[in-house]
Amino acid sequence: MLSLRGLSKAFGSTLAVDRLDLEVPRGSFFGFVGPNGAGKTTTLSMATGLLRPDAGTAHVMGHDVWSDTVRAKQLVGVLPDGLRLFDRLTGLQLICYSGLLRGMDRALVVERAHELLGALGLDDDGGNLVVDYSAGMTKKISLACALIHAPRLLVLDEPFEGVDPISTSTIRQILEGYASSGGTVILSSHVMDLVQRLCDRVAVVAAGQIRAVGTLDEVRSGMTLEERFVDLVGGQTDVGEGLAWLRSSSD
Amino acid sequence: MVALIVRLKWQLLRNGLRRSTPQLVGLILGGVYGLSVLVVVATGLITLRFAVPSAVARSVVIIGGSALTLGWAVFPVIAYGIDETLDPARFATFAVPRRQLVLGLLVSSLVSVPAAVTTILGLATVITWSRSVLAVLVAPAAAAVAVLTCVALSRLTSTAFSSMSQRRRGREMVPVLVLLLSVGFGVVGSSIMKRLSTPGLLPHVADVLGWTPLGLAWSVPADIVDGAIWTGLLRLFLAVVVLAAALLAWDFLLQGALENPRGATGERALTRDAGLGWFARMPATPAGAVAARSLTSWLRDPRYISSVALMLLLPLGLLLPPLSGGSKLWSLAMAPTAGFLLGWSMHNDIAYDGTAFWTHVATGVSGRADRLGRLAPTAIAASALLPGYAILGCALTGLWSLWPALFGVGVGFLMTGFGVASVMSALKPYPVPGPGESPFGAPPGSSALTVVIQAVAGAAVFVLNLPLVAIGFGALTGHIWMGWLCLGLAVLLGSAALGFGTWWGARIYERRAPDLLADLSRIR
Repeated sequence: MLSLRGLSKAFGSTLAVDRLDLEVPRGSFFGFVGPNGAGKTTTLSMATGLLRPDAGTAHVMGHDVWSDTVRAKQLVGVLPDGLRLFDRLTGLQLICYSGLLRGMDRALVVERAHELLGALGLDDDGGNLVVDYSAGMTKKISLACALIHAPRLLVLDEPFEGVDPISTSTIRQILEGYASSGGTVILSSHVMDLVQRLCDRVAVVAAGQIRAVGTLDEVRSGMTLEERFVDLVGGQTDVGEGLAWLRSSSD
Repeated sequence: MVALIVRLKWQLLRNGLRRSTPQLVGLILGGVYGLSVLVVVATGLITLRFAVPSAVARSVVIIGGSALTLGWAVFPVIAYGIDETLDPARFATFAVPRRQLVLGLLVSSLVSVPAAVTTILGLATVITWSRSVLAVLVAPAAAAVAVLTCVALSRLTSTAFSSMSQRRRGREMVPVLVLLLSVGFGVVGSSIMKRLSTPGLLPHVADVLGWTPLGLAWSVPADIVDGAIWTGLLRLFLAVVVLAAALLAWDFLLQGALENPRGATGERALTRDAGLGWFARMPATPAGAVAARSLTSWLRDPRYISSVALMLLLPLGLLLPPLSGGSKLWSLAMAPTAGFLLGWSMHNDIAYDGTAFWTHVATGVSGRADRLGRLAPTAIAASALLPGYAILGCALTGLWSLWPALFGVGVGFLMTGFGVASVMSALKPYPVPGPGESPFGAPPGSSALTVVIQAVAGAAVFVLNLPLVAIGFGALTGHIWMGWLCLGLAVLLGSAALGFGTWWGARIYERRAPDLLADLSRIR
């Protein structure tokens, strides 16, 4: 479904992504986990045509993202992290904008936009400006923008960051329904617990390279995902007997 | 604690310099410019000591000083969000005693380039007034009070403004209103000054200002030099009272800001628009969608609103010479000027999207749709403004036969401007204020690149239109048929430039769209 070969990207002298290979099979719910600065956002940006790689290729269902651009982008829905939205539009307008930019019919766009607002619990907020939204509402409206054209592949960068438990469960239900009907999802997250419950395949990335990849059970090999993650990535500081002054019971 | 806050400010100032080389170059160029202005003004102040009678020096120092103080007081409103490095609300979580915080923030405000400039100017006035021993003794104190008043007033308005404008709409629209008001004052004021500028007026203005909070401290040494020692000391006393009052008021407002830091109040959504707005009125194509999105932003984003206001007002500035007794022919230039501004102004349009531009990249919208859609708001504005300004120009001069020439040159400028802008904005965006920031704050160090790109775009539009301008002047000299020739040629030339510009711009866009996004995330 999504196939990355030898992707590399350097920012100045720091190598953010280093010859990364990744296969995301069709119909999988793929979790992409790694510590801060591991190159998750860079990789997902290069896979969706938002950032030009220094080397390597990205294919979506056989279409090269960087040469067969238009066809590849039609198949993908993107929720990037850390980028702005056209936040002077209302929620409804923003969803419709994403659909109309893709050349969809207006009546269809409006119908789907209202359905998405309803499913995401944003019925009452569709008429408010996105700039006045909370973090969770902004994530939900971005998800709606990514879904409006019924993509075959969803690429979500940190879809649960800053989202409250109720919205999280709404987003989860929508994603699970999408995946169970044949859609492919790849999402990045810091929340191991959520990835463990949601995804059937996982890749652990650190310093721009894949450390482990496979089905959830293969990757965690008997441990919880979090233990395995810390194990793979390493670098956890042993607090031990330090910071003794923080323990208020010691006096 | 005071020392700590001052050190924090100093550190922030130094870290601000540790940026990329181009930014540093821009900052140095800006610094050199500022320094040369400072040298000129300071030299002028020193010259006042030797070259002119003290009465003239008095008028200059009081009026100039009052203007400077007013500038300090008003600046935070126009340029909010520029230097919030020591935003009092950020100290809310630290338990700093308020007295110490007030003092620390005040002293740290002195650690800034504008404060340094003001201090140097204040010291220069000491030389201006070194006409008697007593004056030399009093002038430094008066200058210190004046400088501190400047800083205290700016802190006061800044805090008052930030606590007043918790709401986004209010915060964003006030600078636009202040701009419009000051332009209005400028227009009215300059025409009044033109009519009333008799040599005897300035001392009277200085007299009045000298008793206002703005000019009190600046007039003290002048009184001493004139021998009115008691008046001078009274003014000094009143100036200290004004300073104390400003500090107390600031202290009072600060209390509010600390107990209720920004963001703690729930913001009610102000704009509700249940329908699709422009998205229902524009064609349901990608280009139509881009047009609808641009139109919506132009009407809701203060950055666009203020540029629209400027584009409306600048051509009207050509009415100033006729109003103040100059040649009426100036008003003929309104339509061409408006055409130039409207077309040329689009050359950095993509930068105003900021990183929200990713939506265009991710959806793979065609270059043609992006290029054409963005032109919609200005095209609609121009369809009313160009004929309107042309009619206004003809009406004022009575030269109705010139209408086709005026309208023609305007259309030529507009459409070639669109063509040039469609290419330029796909090539290289330069930094602009982000959404929600003050429309008048430019990110520091951006000046060099900005000036080069603006000049290239402006020169390109101008050169392309030289033949039209020449024929337009032909019409002005009495060859009426040349006006119609001008209009016909403008439509032809404009269409060609627009067609070629959007075609070429679209090609560049499609090749560079992800690189544009990378540029946009770097400059933000």
